[in-house]
Amino acid sequence: MDGKIDTPTDTFIQVAEVWVPKDDVLVYAAGDTNGLGAFEEASRGTRFAKGEGLPGKAWAEARPVVLKGFDGSYFKRTEVAKEAGLSAAVAVPVFDGDTLKAVLVVLCGDDAERIGAIEVWTANRDGLLMLDDGYYGAAEEFAFVSQHTCFPRGQGLPGGVWAADAPILMRDLGSGYKFVRASAAGKAGLTSGIGLPVRVPGGTPYVLTLLSALGTPIARRFEVWAVKRGGKAVLIDGVCEREGALWRDDGDGTRAEAPKAEAWKGPVGQVLGTGLPVVQRGAGGLPAGYGAFVGLPSYGGGAMTHIVAWYI
Amino acid sequence: MSTRKLVVIGAGMASGRALEHLFEAAPGQWDVTLFNAEPRGNYNRIMLSPVLSGEKSYGEIVIHDDDWYAQHGVTCRFGEKVLSIDADAKLVEGEKGVVPYDKLLIATGSTPFIVPLPGHDLDGVIAYRDLEDTNRMIDAAATPGARVVVIGGGLLGLEAAAGLRLRGMEVTVVHLMGHLMDRQLDESAGFLLRKSLESRGIDIRCGANSKEILGENGKVRALLLDDGTELSCDLLVMAVGIRPNIALAKEAGLATGRGIHVDGQMITSNADILSVGECIEHDGAVFGLVAPLYDQAKVAAQTLLGTHATFVQKQLSTKLKVTGCDLFSAGDFAEGDGREDIVFRDPGRGIYKRLVIEGHRLIGAVMYGDTADSNWFFGLIRDGTDIDDMRETLIFGPAYQGGASADPLSAVAALPPEAEICGCNGICKGTITDAIAGGATDLGAVRAQTKASASCGTCTGLVEQLLQVTLGDAFQMPAAQPICGCCDLSHEDVRRLIKAQELKSQEAVWQELGWKTRNGCHVCRPAVNFYLLADWPLEYRDDPQSRFVNERKHANIQKDGTFSVVPRMWGGITTPAELRAIADAAEKYAVPTVKVTGGQRIDLLGVKGEDLPGIWADLNAAGLVSGHAYSKGLRTVKTCVGTDHCRFGTQDSTGLGVKLEQILWGSWTPHKVKLAVSGCPRNCAEATCKDVGIVCVDSGYQVGVGGAAGMDVKETERLGDAATEQEAIDLTVAFIQLYRENAKYLDRPYKWVAKVGLDWVKARVVDDLDERARLIAAFDLSQSIYRKDPWAEEAKRAPAFQPVADLTLEAAE
Repeated sequence: MDGKIDTPTDTFIQVAEVWVPKDDVLVYAAGDTNGLGAFEEASRGTRFAKGEGLPGKAWAEARPVVLKGFDGSYFKRTEVAKEAGLSAAVAVPVFDGDTLKAVLVVLCGDDAERIGAIEVWTANRDGLLMLDDGYYGAAEEFAFVSQHTCFPRGQGLPGGVWAADAPILMRDLGSGYKFVRASAAGKAGLTSGIGLPVRVPGGTPYVLTLLSALGTPIARRFEVWAVKRGGKAVLIDGVCEREGALWRDDGDGTRAEAPKAEAWKGPVGQVLGTGLPVVQRGAGGLPAGYGAFVGLPSYGGGAMTHIVAWYI
Repeated sequence: MSTRKLVVIGAGMASGRALEHLFEAAPGQWDVTLFNAEPRGNYNRIMLSPVLSGEKSYGEIVIHDDDWYAQHGVTCRFGEKVLSIDADAKLVEGEKGVVPYDKLLIATGSTPFIVPLPGHDLDGVIAYRDLEDTNRMIDAAATPGARVVVIGGGLLGLEAAAGLRLRGMEVTVVHLMGHLMDRQLDESAGFLLRKSLESRGIDIRCGANSKEILGENGKVRALLLDDGTELSCDLLVMAVGIRPNIALAKEAGLATGRGIHVDGQMITSNADILSVGECIEHDGAVFGLVAPLYDQAKVAAQTLLGTHATFVQKQLSTKLKVTGCDLFSAGDFAEGDGREDIVFRDPGRGIYKRLVIEGHRLIGAVMYGDTADSNWFFGLIRDGTDIDDMRETLIFGPAYQGGASADPLSAVAALPPEAEICGCNGICKGTITDAIAGGATDLGAVRAQTKASASCGTCTGLVEQLLQVTLGDAFQMPAAQPICGCCDLSHEDVRRLIKAQELKSQEAVWQELGWKTRNGCHVCRPAVNFYLLADWPLEYRDDPQSRFVNERKHANIQKDGTFSVVPRMWGGITTPAELRAIADAAEKYAVPTVKVTGGQRIDLLGVKGEDLPGIWADLNAAGLVSGHAYSKGLRTVKTCVGTDHCRFGTQDSTGLGVKLEQILWGSWTPHKVKLAVSGCPRNCAEATCKDVGIVCVDSGYQVGVGGAAGMDVKETERLGDAATEQEAIDLTVAFIQLYRENAKYLDRPYKWVAKVGLDWVKARVVDDLDERARLIAAFDLSQSIYRKDPWAEEAKRAPAFQPVADLTLEAAE
């Protein structure tokens, strides 16, 4: 690669924050407020008790929470968010068994041109995955179709993640699928998507999906890491606008050449080392051409199992 | 140096890698012409499955693009088939012209094997080999409601199935063998894989034989199996294997067998023609995985460069590219003399690991659910490392080597407080240790306070280990006896869990209940086999290999290795014709001893093993069936003559005995079951010492159970009184079914009744009419499968019958 810095694309997610429990409240641990200084200042000065505000609600209800309008809601930083042009937010709790490790909050703008989707899916009594809630920006038709779509285990991105109990990165959402939702995704320009299981106490299945459009992508680089014993992780999938495919696989079952990460080394290593979501603004340690990083760990069986990372 | 002409036929992964080596070592020295029948260059064919599923794009799996070929001056003749090779003139003839060569590299790969079923040429029947096949499947998936049948439960078939399912199709996999990926996995790993795929909504049919592909208007409509099942489909994918593509080489006069013969330098029988990839045969082997192909490519490049190198076959490992199905297999894991298995299972996390050791070396490994250490194990296999020093802890992987304790308690002690112990109730280690510290000092107290191990019970061992870790010697492990050394669970626990967890196969039991051995032992297998067939008569198939020798041979083996044959005589009644047939059979097969038994049967003792099918066939012809005198099942119903002939008879005892025997015969029970019906309290049929004994009285029938007249002697206890014959039959059948559903294997009814109490039995069989009806219905359902004559089945297979070599003795009766 030539190392040329691309012109930054306007991304779907504007702000990402990590909130961690401390003395029975959630405190701001790190964030990328994308230059929205007033919002960052407000966040640093805020605490959330269990059940309070968006992060506190995700903690108390032990589930991902989508909030599509701040006015009149439990959102505590409404005024400063509105001033920053933010209008929707999603809080994703990270549990290790019964213990809350952190809450990742992402906030999106209210631009009428902004296309993308952040969705939370959960199983109904019939064993089908239904949309719990989602934020779609300007992709209204796709939002409508998604609200009326359900997925059995193993079908589609949400059903595939549910069945695999592992993150899945899909390349081509728009064609070759049975679902009406697929053609709606194609029409909306949603081309790729990543889905990951959100494990919560009680075992209710939740699947978080981030669907990306070319014009306002969620990110320009996605990575999925499998966490191994001894604080190491192996890259099992990834795509990058600049470098293309990131995975290495000759199909012989040993993946000897797959890129690896170690605790505390590099941004993925920070996720491994801290055991928490990591949000970073600044190019240090990031691949050439990228200036921001979000790494989201998931836990199962008492240990971290995967890290999903995206780069902007 | 002058440029030499290299023609390559086939732009696959093997020849592509060979060209990479060649261009790297000797840039500009070779003028390469590359033919490819596909209209494109080299791509990572192995990764077509993720392209099918949508988890990769085609662009990502291209290995050599147009720029690469241009950069190296390769003349690409893609989409052009090679028609012939003239080895004498050193010419390759393509559809668009002839090309001369100095050296020729044949890399024609393989072709998918199409099972020549009727209908295999219908539209919609495809193989799974290249991008065209992949795109065709993707197009098919876009049709709402489209169904696909995949023939072949190997790597490729399952990857196709999972990909098509992800795209929204209804998918059925038809696999001839008993478990999935049978060439790479053992039964236990195959079970977990099947479970994972079924949880995705994929219908898996193992042991299924395809008979015909049915069509309509020239297009596939369904697959017909040989059992008559019709699986409707809009697309049928055959993924049953590949064959080396050797036609061109053969026509060119090169030596071929299964593949194109090559030596260690990848040179064919013609010194100027090399070959690599799936089309070759080297030292008797053909190849389908990529690792040896890349080794061949390296050797071929060096041969072309004039450097000596030799291709050596190595151990291979396997990976399935279905996200969430984490499996690994390498080496040889077949059973064999001198081989030792080490097995680790974690039912809660769906983990199974098996290592096969021969001598001082690891020779095979199969893993499912946790393959984190697969590289390390593969290295041990490949390098033939002496593993003696780490044998005890080998299964735990490299992290446990170098002096770590083999004590399983250390693993439990090392778990963090938030580690989940009881998956059913979400109870973590900290909660349990807090409860123990608070005074819960035995399993019952921990269960009561935390609910840990209170549901499925599979974490009981872990909870007990936590008690040990926390309390030290103050905790005494409970004395409940496990079935055998293969597991930590008692018979009762296993029975309960087979029902509660709906375990319907031996593999499910081994895995979900944490068996420590690969597939049980001579103690637990017969018990588990019985529990499964008793609880799941429709879903589970009886496993003859899990039976004692007498039940396998359908005759009692005697101390001299001969057998005793006892035909059934319903209620002890026979006819002159039957007696003649028995006499004829005894004479024909020179039976040395003919004995009348205590159960009112005729026993032919001293029959040679090789005569069994013949004597069975002769007795069958006379209408006689097996008396099951060898089985853990109904043996005999002994009767007196009752009202038909006896002055004292109060009811038709003979008739009732015949009816009972005709209802109950063929059923498997925890131990043998003997019945008797006496026509009056004088009890000539000795009913009061039977498992079920009915004594007829003027007012009806007194049904007693739990008698014994063997090692122990015990009188029956009254289960209940029946006013009618039908009620007596109902009580008997319900009692037998309750016994089948609940008793420990090898407990006779009297032992079982003593454990559960007669009142418990009465409450279900006598008092609760709904439960009685359920028991009778369950028995009838089971008998729809098992009420059949095993002799007739065996006699049909007579030519294949072999005398047993295993002379394990059981008490002759």
